[in-house]
Amino acid sequence: MRPAYRDPAYARYLKRFIPASVLYVGAIILASTLIPDDAKASPLTIGIALLPGMACITMIWAMARLLVEMEDEYLRLIEIKKALIATGFALAVAATWGLLELYTDVQKLPVFLIFPMWCGGLAIAQFWMKARGA
Amino acid sequence: MKNRLKVLRAERDWNQQDLADALGVSRQSVNAIETGKYDPSLPLAFRIADLFSLQIEDIFLRD
Repeated sequence: MRPAYRDPAYARYLKRFIPASVLYVGAIILASTLIPDDAKASPLTIGIALLPGMACITMIWAMARLLVEMEDEYLRLIEIKKALIATGFALAVAATWGLLELYTDVQKLPVFLIFPMWCGGLAIAQFWMKARGA
Repeated sequence: MKNRLKVLRAERDWNQQDLADALGVSRQSVNAIETGKYDPSLPLAFRIADLFSLQIEDIFLRD
């Protein structure tokens, strides 16, 4: 049996995304360990706190490169649709919760959660598109 | 857009994977085009036409 077609861009994506996600988790642990909760902003604390952000930017870059480098136009369309659904999901949650924060005393949603929420939206889109037979 | 891809493929006794391999695309792409879920780009439509030695309009039909 022949192996199923797999766009070579996926392999390059994983090579970029997996180290960045490991770096993200490591940087979060490092920042949480080294920076006390009540720490003042200083070049050192800002520098450490920016490390997970750099990893996030690398993950976003890896996802953007996937869309640019994919050779199979139909699979690329599927990935773009998933990204649009994830974007809509993250924007909807952020906007709705932001208004709740503005007019009520609900707990504040930390802004850094927007990116993990977007990734969650990507997973929802994956299941939804699969259920629709895409 | 309607197309005759499934008929042309069957005439050659190819399955979707055979056609996908010949075109250098995924089987999902061939399936999506055959079932009308996806209209291929012009370059891919030309590749399909070249593969069957036909004109694009002999394969893809207006609705």
